[in-house]
Amino acid sequence: MMGMAMLDLHPRVATTTILERHELADGVVLLTLHAPELADATQPGQYLMAIPPSGEAAATALAVYEAEGKRASILFFVTGKRTRELATLACGDRLDVVGPLGNGFDCSGDARDVAIVAGGVGIASVWLCARELLRRGAHVRLFYGARTAELLVDAQRFADAGCELVLATDDGTRGERGFVTDALVRSRKPELIYACGPSPMLRRIGEIANGFGVRAQLSLEETFGCGVGGCWGCVVPLTNASAQAPSFPPAGRGGSDVVYARICKEGPVFWAHELRW
Amino acid sequence: MNPQPALAIRLGKLELAYPTLMGSGCYGSGEEFAPFADLSKIGAIVLKSVTRLPRLGNPTPRLVHTPAGMLNAIGLQNPGIEWYLERELHKYAGRPCKIVGSVAGFEIDDYAYVCERLAARDEIEAIELNVSCPNVAREGETFGCDPDLTARVVEAARATTNKTLIVKLSPNVTDIVAIARQAENSGADALAVINTVRGMAIDVETWRPRLGNITGGLSGPAIRPIAVLAVYEIAQAVSIPIVGQGGIETLADALEFFLAGATAISIGTANFTDPRIPERLVAELQAYLTRRNIGSIQEIVGRAHVEIATAHQYEGDEG
Repeated sequence: MMGMAMLDLHPRVATTTILERHELADGVVLLTLHAPELADATQPGQYLMAIPPSGEAAATALAVYEAEGKRASILFFVTGKRTRELATLACGDRLDVVGPLGNGFDCSGDARDVAIVAGGVGIASVWLCARELLRRGAHVRLFYGARTAELLVDAQRFADAGCELVLATDDGTRGERGFVTDALVRSRKPELIYACGPSPMLRRIGEIANGFGVRAQLSLEETFGCGVGGCWGCVVPLTNASAQAPSFPPAGRGGSDVVYARICKEGPVFWAHELRW
Repeated sequence: MNPQPALAIRLGKLELAYPTLMGSGCYGSGEEFAPFADLSKIGAIVLKSVTRLPRLGNPTPRLVHTPAGMLNAIGLQNPGIEWYLERELHKYAGRPCKIVGSVAGFEIDDYAYVCERLAARDEIEAIELNVSCPNVAREGETFGCDPDLTARVVEAARATTNKTLIVKLSPNVTDIVAIARQAENSGADALAVINTVRGMAIDVETWRPRLGNITGGLSGPAIRPIAVLAVYEIAQAVSIPIVGQGGIETLADALEFFLAGATAISIGTANFTDPRIPERLVAELQAYLTRRNIGSIQEIVGRAHVEIATAHQYEGDEG
């Protein structure tokens, strides 16, 4: 989808029911939802806005982790008030969500040897991408980094599906010690890189991709306001020449060669070489 | 059976089927929310402010969630009036609700110029003057913080159009009532009360301000009592209608503003919690009026105004 005409995927407010709740590690929660329309419509790298059951805070943007049949799931780390509230949900509880939203990963190319890089909870954005690339016959290496071994959640799923795993932890408790980007830079050059994780990691991947002479699709994270493109709160500087750039006068007409694009609307996935951050 | 209570209201010449406006800068152009919200069940969308020249907007981060609200510092990102008229405005034709344009500026001439260009378009049924953006290095808010400058901006804009002119007031002033009076005397048809309250948040890990702009505007339930007071006091001082806004999420919140003296309400940050809130509020207002056997929303406007019955303070008492 990314970089092409944006598709109208008819996102809706959907009332879902929690089917399963798993705590994959301390403070890492996987909620499986009965959400047929969401599961059917979600493309790799898209997200949803979870409406807080209490109504007492802004909705939370979360990647759609799995989407299969009538079930979709969200995988999140409990980091604040809003995720703490979502973590209290139990099987049978209701959760209203808006989605799927955003422009996700473009898996349509003919790259045969791809690298997916995930940092921490960024893993939640890349499962559907990995599944689609594998389905298309690509060789997929997953570079997966986290602070410590127990936070490398659900790595086995990717291995079972056919990904080659390269793991790294900050403390060396599993895989290589250090940043997963260091493992990437030492490895065989892929044809294309997909990534989701904290901004410093994504910036580094942009540099690494540039060094390799390959392109990278980065799924960005930022504090969202509305989550649907209405408030211009979650933006990133982008070249105005990008196909994803929002309507803005180009340089020379009182405009600019850089424009702020909405991560929630034009993104969350952008080409690394088009970002000006 | 009683007829359905009337929710229709007027702001100057602007007739709205419902007394609900979507706050400027919170609702895009409406198209962003159209997939999840029934735009035929809202009164009007107030578009994001447009300026004479393009504005890139503020550096990031632009948003911080805070207790019972959020801080924003977007910085009036917009492509400028020429590009806006050429490329954007035609998309707003045919919306099932009214469309109010919003004008911001840095010189009195800017306001007049943009107001005239925008108001001349059929897609735009009324104009809101944003003299109170707190996030553009105080240049924009300067107008709304000074009664005389407010008067000059409103007069200049008034001279360019006969369409309804709504003036959005800043709460970041010593005497908002004086500014409200000036706006009325200078030709405003209605007042939007209030814009965001200036605020700041600091990251205690990095020891840096959390907003790229350092300061921002606070919205959400955190500012509701400030807004209710402003509406209450302004309603006693002016005779033009007030659009009450500041942290409205529930029926009770909305009623507070009507009872304080607002003719209409504006919903902003609540759309970020749940895009169904505006439609729900209209249904709940309808049900409330029916239950109370009240014929029209206009009957409850300003009904909370009372005299203080007993003086509890005494001469010479410090408290």
